[in-house]
Amino acid sequence: MNLSTSSSERALFARIFLAILLGMGAALGLVRLFHVSTGITADNFLGRVLQAKAALPRITRESQELAMFFGSSMVQAGFSPRQFDREMAERGMPVKSFNFGFGGLNPLFQDILSRRVREQFERDGRRLKIALIEFNPFQATITRRNGAREAEETMLAILGTPREFLRVLMEDPERGVRLFNIRYLRDGISAEAFTSFVAGGMAPPRARTGIPEDEAAQSRRRELDKILDRRFEEDYPDHEDERWHYGWQGGGTIPAERSAETLALFDEFYATLRTEHRLDDDRLHRIHSADIIELRFDPELIEAFIGIVKNFQAISDRVEVLMLPKNGRWIENTPEAERRLAAAVARIEEATGLSLHNDRELPAITPEMFVDTTHLARYTGGVAYTRHLVEVLTPQPETTATR
Amino acid sequence: MIFNTPLFFAFFVVFLLFYGFVFLQRRPRVYFILVASLVFYGAWNYAFIPLLVGSAVLDYFLAQAIAAAPAGRRRKTLLGISIAVNLGILAVFKYADFAIGSVVDFLQLFGYQASVSSLELILPVGISFYTFQSMSYTIDVYRGDMQPRKGLVEFTAALAFFPQLVAGPILRARQILPQFHKLPLPTWVNAKHGFLLITVGLMKKTMADLLAVPAAAAFDAQGPISLMESWTGVLAFAGQIYGDFSGYSDMAIGLALLLGFQIPLNFRLPYFAVSPVDFWRRWHISLSSWLRDYLYIPLGGNRRGNRYCNIFITMLLGGLWHGAAWTFVAWGAFHGALIGVTHKLGELRLFAPFAHSRSLWIRIFKWALTFYLVLLGWVLFRATSLEGAWQMLVTLHSFGAVLPSPSHGAALVLGLTAAALLVMHLVDYGVLQHGERLAQKPWGFWPALVTVQALCLMIGEPSSEFIYFQF
Repeated sequence: MNLSTSSSERALFARIFLAILLGMGAALGLVRLFHVSTGITADNFLGRVLQAKAALPRITRESQELAMFFGSSMVQAGFSPRQFDREMAERGMPVKSFNFGFGGLNPLFQDILSRRVREQFERDGRRLKIALIEFNPFQATITRRNGAREAEETMLAILGTPREFLRVLMEDPERGVRLFNIRYLRDGISAEAFTSFVAGGMAPPRARTGIPEDEAAQSRRRELDKILDRRFEEDYPDHEDERWHYGWQGGGTIPAERSAETLALFDEFYATLRTEHRLDDDRLHRIHSADIIELRFDPELIEAFIGIVKNFQAISDRVEVLMLPKNGRWIENTPEAERRLAAAVARIEEATGLSLHNDRELPAITPEMFVDTTHLARYTGGVAYTRHLVEVLTPQPETTATR
Repeated sequence: MIFNTPLFFAFFVVFLLFYGFVFLQRRPRVYFILVASLVFYGAWNYAFIPLLVGSAVLDYFLAQAIAAAPAGRRRKTLLGISIAVNLGILAVFKYADFAIGSVVDFLQLFGYQASVSSLELILPVGISFYTFQSMSYTIDVYRGDMQPRKGLVEFTAALAFFPQLVAGPILRARQILPQFHKLPLPTWVNAKHGFLLITVGLMKKTMADLLAVPAAAAFDAQGPISLMESWTGVLAFAGQIYGDFSGYSDMAIGLALLLGFQIPLNFRLPYFAVSPVDFWRRWHISLSSWLRDYLYIPLGGNRRGNRYCNIFITMLLGGLWHGAAWTFVAWGAFHGALIGVTHKLGELRLFAPFAHSRSLWIRIFKWALTFYLVLLGWVLFRATSLEGAWQMLVTLHSFGAVLPSPSHGAALVLGLTAAALLVMHLVDYGVLQHGERLAQKPWGFWPALVTVQALCLMIGEPSSEFIYFQF
C-alpha cells in the first residue's frame, strides 16, 4: 500500500516541526533571560580567569622578557608580580611577570587554561623567560574533584575550543553535543552548574569548630574592614573594579604604594583574621572540601597537572614547579598523606624531568604570615615569599651575600 | 542516546525532517524508522545491533513457521525454540554472572572454594524489553491470538521502534504491528498531547535526578544515618524511580504520538494505590500485564490450589527481570507475598467489609498502609545487598534508638522530597483528567509548556542515565 502524502499532511508535519523548534528556542531564551537577570553567568564562575585569558594577546605583545606564576588562589595571594619585577631587575634580570593564580580551579580546569596560554604564545611566537607552576597538593585530591564535578562540563565548555569539542564529539557524541550546547546555546552555564549554584545553600552541613569566636576581634575586624576599604578608595581613586587587573599584572596592591599607617592597620587586620575560631573552622572546611590532611589524590588530576607543566615547558625557557608554604600550625599531614604526596611528586618529576621545589616548610614563612590556614597575607607572607622566589631564581654568590 | 539530551533533540529534529518531508511513502518511511532506530540504538553500542536484529529475524521466521505448522508437537517445538533463544539471550547477557556468583557463594557455604571466573559481559541496553516484546509475538501466533505478519522489515522496525526500544513500555505485537502496517499519520490534537507528555516526562525526569541525591545520601552512606535521613532516602528513591521510569515512558508515548503512533499508558498514579494488587495495576502496566498474560495464566492463573503459588512465582520472576541480584529476587518475593496476602484477606469474611468499604477514612488507611509497604519494597530494590537492605529497614523502624542526629536542613530536604513526590502525582493526575482540555487552550498551554521546559533545561542533569536502561 502506498501512502501518498498530501499537502495537509506536510502542513501538519511542518506545524509539529515548527512547534518543536520555536518551543525549544523560547525555552532556551527563557533560560538565558533567567541567567542574565539573576546574574548567574559564565563570568560568575570564571570572571577572573576569563579576564586573564583575554589579556594574553596583550601580554605576548610586551617588549620585556616575560614571566608567569601559574597556580591556585595561594599563588593569587602569595605572589606579587610588581615586587618580583622590581627585585629581579635589581638583581640584573629584568622581567615582566604576571600572576595567573586562580581560586576554585583544579588541575583539570587549569590544564585547559594552560593550553590556551600555550596556544597564544605559540601563535604570537613568544616565549616565557620563566614559568613558575604551583603544585597545590590539596587541589589534586579526590574530595576536591568530587566537590566540583558538576562544574567540569561548564569549565570545559567555557575554556575549551571548538576543536576540542569536536574531538570529544568523535569519542562521545552525547558529551560533544552537550559541550556545544552549553557553550553556544546556554552561554556557558550547564544545568548542573546552575543547580549547584542555586542549591549551594542546601548542601549538607560540614563539621564546625567548637572553639568560640573572639567577639572583640570580630568586632574590630568589621571596623578595620570598613576603614581599609575607605583607605583603598583614597589611595586608588581611579581603580576600576577588575578582578584580574592588567595594571597590577594580575596581582594585588604592594606595600611600597601604601602608607606606614595603612600597613599598620593591615597588620592589625590580619591578626583579627587569625583567631583560633576562624583558623580551626577554616581547617575543618579544607578537610571537608579538599581532604587537606589525608591528601588522597585523584590520579587523573595528577596527570592533568603533568599536562600543565608540559604545556609550559613548550613555551618557556625555564620552568620551575613549586609547592607553596603551608600554615604548619594548623595543617599537619598524616604519615600516610606524606607518603602519598611523595609518590605524587615522584610521578610529576618522572613525567616532566623537573625537580620540584618543596617550599611547604619554608623557615622564612611563619604562621603569622597567613590570613587563614592556606593563604599568605599579601603584605607579610606574600612579600616574604615573593622575595624568596627572587632569591631562588637569581642566586647570589655566597661571598657577595656575605659582603 | 537519552531523550533529555541535546544529542537526542538533534537526532529527532533531523528524523522528523526526513520522515515528514523527504520519505513520503509508507515503505520508505518504515525503512527509515528502522535505520533511525538502529542509529539510536547504535549510539549506545553498535556491537549489539546484530543481537537486536537477530532476535527479530529469528522470531519473525519462527512465527511464520508456527502459523504454517499443523497443530501439535512441531508448533510447540518451534515456540520452544523462540522462548529458549530469547530467554537464552537474557540468561547469557544478564544472568550468567549472577548464576556463577551464586553457585560459588553456595559452594562456599560448604567450605568448597570454587575458582570460576565470571563472564563480565556488557549488558545490552533494553535487552529485557525487546526480548519480551519479541517473545510475545511468537506466543500470540502460537495461541492463535494473531496472524503472523508479512514483512520482515516492518516487524524489525516495530521491534526496534526507537521511542520505546530501550526502556519500554513493552508493546505487544498486536498493539504495534497493525500500526506499522497502516502507518498512521499524526493529528494536531494528538501531537499537542504528545508535546504535553514529553514536557511532563522531562519534568519528572528532572525531579528524579534531583531526588537521586538524598536517596544516594541515605543508601550509600558510609556510616549510620539518622531516622529522618533514612525516611528521606526511601521517600526520595520512591520519587526517583517513579519520576525516572514514568518520565521516560511519558516521553516515549509523547514522541510516538508526534509520529502518529499510539502507545498505551504505562503508569496510572501508582502511589495513590489502595492495595498491593491495585499498585501493580498502576505500576509498569505493560510489564505486569505481560507477566499476567504470558506467565501467570500459563502457570495456571487463578485455579484453586495453585493461585498463591502462581502469584508468588510470577512476582519472583518479575523481580528477577529487573536485575540479576538477590535484592531484586527479594523485592519480587516481597510483592508476591503482599499480593497473595491481599487476595487471601479479601476472601476472608472477617475482612470483607474492610476490603470493600468505600469510607474515606478506611481508604486513607489502606492507601497509607499500601504506600508504607511499597516503600519497604523500594528498600530491597535500591539496596546494594540484602545486608544493606536489612540495615536500612532496621534504621527506618528504630524509633527511640541511639542514632545520629539529623543534620541541619534535613527537615527541609524531607519536606522538599515529599513535595516533589506529591507534585509528580498531581501533575500526572492533571494530565490524565484534564490533559485534553488543557491542550484546547493555546494561550495557556504553550506558555506553560515552554516555561516547564525552560525550568527543566535550567536545573536538569541530562548526563544521568535512566535507571530502567539497566534492566
